[in-house]
Amino acid sequence: MIALLKSLVRAFPAPFRARFGAELREDLERDYRRARAQGPVRATTYTLATAFDLVRSGLMEHWHPTWTAIRGLDTLERGMQWRWNEWMRDLRHAGRALRNTVGFTVVAAGTLGLAIGCNAGMFGVIETVLLKPLPYENIDRLVYVAASAPGSDLPPEVGVSPEFYVQYKELSQHIEDISTFNSFTSTLRTPERVERIRMSAPTPTLFNTLGARPILGRLPLPEEEDRVVVISHALWQSWFGSDPAVVGRNYDISGESRTVVGVMAPEFKFPSDGTLLWISNPIRIEDITPGRFGGPLVALMKPGVTPQMLADEFTTLARRLPERFGGTANYARIIEKHRAVVRPLEQQLLGVVAQPLWVLTGALAIVLLIACANVANLFLVRAEARQRDLAVRRAIGAGRGQLVRLQMSEALVVAALAGVFATVIAAVILPVIRQAAPPGIPRIGDVGMNLETVLFTLVAAVVSAMVCGLVPAWRASAPDLTRLRDGGRGSTRRRHWARDAMVAGQTALALVLLIASGLLIRSFAKLSQVDPGYDIADVFTFQIAPERPTLTDGPSFARFDLDFMDRLAKLPGVTSVGLIENIPLDEGTASFRVQAEGRGNAEDGGTLLNRTFTAGDYFPSMGIEVLQGRTFTTDDQLSGSGNALLSRSAAKLLWPDEDPIGKRFKRPEDTTWSTVIGVVADVMQNSFRDTPQALIYYPLVGPTPESWRISSPAYVLKTARAESIAPDVRALVHEVAPEAPMYRIYTLAGLARSSMVQLSFTMLTLGIASALALVLGAVGLYGVLSYIVAERTREIGLRMALGAQADQVRRMVVTQGARVVAAGLLIGIFVALLSTRALGSLLFGVPAVDLVTFLGMSAMMFAVGMLASYLPARRASNVDPTVSLRGE
Amino acid sequence: MPANPIALSTIEYHVLLALADGPLHGYALKDAVATESAGTLVLRAGSLYRVIARLMGMGWVVETEPEGGPTPHPGVARRYYALSARGRNALSAEAQRLAQASALARKRLDVARDRP
Repeated sequence: MIALLKSLVRAFPAPFRARFGAELREDLERDYRRARAQGPVRATTYTLATAFDLVRSGLMEHWHPTWTAIRGLDTLERGMQWRWNEWMRDLRHAGRALRNTVGFTVVAAGTLGLAIGCNAGMFGVIETVLLKPLPYENIDRLVYVAASAPGSDLPPEVGVSPEFYVQYKELSQHIEDISTFNSFTSTLRTPERVERIRMSAPTPTLFNTLGARPILGRLPLPEEEDRVVVISHALWQSWFGSDPAVVGRNYDISGESRTVVGVMAPEFKFPSDGTLLWISNPIRIEDITPGRFGGPLVALMKPGVTPQMLADEFTTLARRLPERFGGTANYARIIEKHRAVVRPLEQQLLGVVAQPLWVLTGALAIVLLIACANVANLFLVRAEARQRDLAVRRAIGAGRGQLVRLQMSEALVVAALAGVFATVIAAVILPVIRQAAPPGIPRIGDVGMNLETVLFTLVAAVVSAMVCGLVPAWRASAPDLTRLRDGGRGSTRRRHWARDAMVAGQTALALVLLIASGLLIRSFAKLSQVDPGYDIADVFTFQIAPERPTLTDGPSFARFDLDFMDRLAKLPGVTSVGLIENIPLDEGTASFRVQAEGRGNAEDGGTLLNRTFTAGDYFPSMGIEVLQGRTFTTDDQLSGSGNALLSRSAAKLLWPDEDPIGKRFKRPEDTTWSTVIGVVADVMQNSFRDTPQALIYYPLVGPTPESWRISSPAYVLKTARAESIAPDVRALVHEVAPEAPMYRIYTLAGLARSSMVQLSFTMLTLGIASALALVLGAVGLYGVLSYIVAERTREIGLRMALGAQADQVRRMVVTQGARVVAAGLLIGIFVALLSTRALGSLLFGVPAVDLVTFLGMSAMMFAVGMLASYLPARRASNVDPTVSLRGE
Repeated sequence: MPANPIALSTIEYHVLLALADGPLHGYALKDAVATESAGTLVLRAGSLYRVIARLMGMGWVVETEPEGGPTPHPGVARRYYALSARGRNALSAEAQRLAQASALARKRLDVARDRP
């Protein structure tokens, strides 16, 4: 006990201990003996009370020293203690000094806090989305596998066909495990609720490949085939109220009754955040039709294997597919050209979103640099203003280190204020970013204020304040002692290279950001002007999934749809109604091969085209132009006429220089021909950046009633009430098909907006960053010139007394600013030339080095620079010679 | 720092008061304060030496040699503290102020008691 008390004496600062420590320890021992003599209770209360007193007095002594003699501090430990005390004293001193110059403190801490807060917000996003490892075991060995066949008519990269999976799984020496996966939307029906949700149908091995375990129940077994599912944690919570009894129950999932066998952990979100359910889908070799490209794979490589080694092995293994599985001649030709695509899973999942996020991070880092330069400038000016004070301190023996420390203390106090402010800003903007961010960014929903972000904020605050404070502190710590002699009257001409360099640097960085956001703004404008082939105004679209015993084949669905569209057309404000299997900007179309009658033969495999199905007044509703022939009649829809429409590109591909009307085409494996009855304009199916698709439009009913059944098309309503008609439609759906969930409810204008949201989000954020940079840069220039003018007041007064005119003085100051700005512009243009390529795929219709943007933004930056110079210049020209000369 | 004796704290007052009787070392000083304040001021070791340090900083208390003979307590050689001339002035000024204040208080309390 007494040892504890004695050790608490160390709570006191070294100087105090050096003087009173021995007495204190002696007294403690004596007191303790006395207390113990009075019994254990007394001894304990004495110890506790005294321990408390020692800690309290010790700490008090740190903050309000009563004993500060420094004699006898010989050990390093005591020296450190002493230095700590000095720091505390300097910090208190700095706090007082900053309180006396509230303006400086607010501007410095505010500028830094704003810039750091924005950076912290971005860091919060980057940290959660990109830096935090994906929640899969062995993420460094997991790879994404797809197929490519350069030189064939396949898209540059497609998923593989199931036989690839079988071949790789059985024969690869380089993998431990491999699985298929996909992603689609289908109906989940429970007694309480019906909805279309995002699902995946992977092989049951997927969970093992990824190293994921269920938190409830078990994983699917291969022998259960596709009768079992596991559900996501999100679905378990929202649909089933986290009821453990859900395991073992049967639900109607994607048209069949299936059993829930397990619930996955909350962090398991594969392949995308929105995937809510996984239907086990073992691949049976006897069911495989070779050449059904479309499903990607995920594989776990053995340790030491590289993606390149695996790609080479997979390419070799795939060469032997035709001899094992057969297939068409065209399939064999594709396999000859096939190259396996293998890339780290992390890159596949995060690669697309990483680039714009890093661009924004870079932009905000630049804003922080500019802010630091401004604040450093403020510190510099402040240090200049107290040159005399520092010179006096130096003269009476203060060491250089002491002077630096004194100045750095102010920077530290500013850092603390900026850190607090920045934390608040980060906490405010993080939810905003989460809301405004484009969809499809993995884990964006998890973004929020966390410990890492707070730590980042504080570290960033301290580091930036150090950077801002150190240069001025160092310069000012070697004050010119002659300052004392000339009575503190600032010399009129001194070099300002440090400040000039900072302003030039700020100008350069701001210009880089301006050019980058200018390029994005121009891309956005170009993208908005693209003619997608349809009119996005006043179009409302939705889907339903009716299910009833009478809906069995093509004609029964077609009859339902035609009746339903009649009802929709009678809703108030509806101009026309049509339907389409895959509405542009929302869903992609399927592709297949067709051959034109009389051209080529079955052996060449045919031409790869996309197809969709349509009915009603789809083309007028969407404003798609009918170029030739006619569109479908009700008769086409119900009778299975075998008629079809082509988009202009499809017609060009099949019959490059003939009139396509009346011509026939079919899939190689079909027996019946389809006849072309009309040609319509091309549309942009997936995004405005697309090239138009070669598209075949089929009617609702195929050549035979069993050919196909269109069960959940998108209905398209042309109506001026597109934004407000949803409740009316919902009521009608409830009346006509109460069992059918209504989903994918959009306006076409909304779809267009969200298809551009990645660009517009990046553009907006970069725009804000560059606006901040422009303002901070201008303020920096203004501040420096104002300071120089103030410093040269006497010289200017003298010049004017000797006959200089006001405009000459103005020109002198503006020229000084212009020189610095021009230097900054040159550097900025150079840096921009090197760096705008980082915007890469975000740009549209604008080259990364766009002359108009470069010149325009440079001119703007120069104009702002001139304005920032003109204001101090005007003040300089207002100098009254008599006042300025007498003032000294 | 209270340069004006009026700002003396109770503890400081009692420390000066104890020393007015002659030099004491720290431990004896603490006991004296406890006795003279009728047990209301029990100084813990940590607080005691901060008060001494502060009073020394103001020049009211100085370190001194013990008044002849060996220390009354066994142990290491102890440092003794004594009242300086300025300390004595401060103490008497404070005592005077306290006397006036207590006279005033007594008068007002009596007046209050006399009221119906």
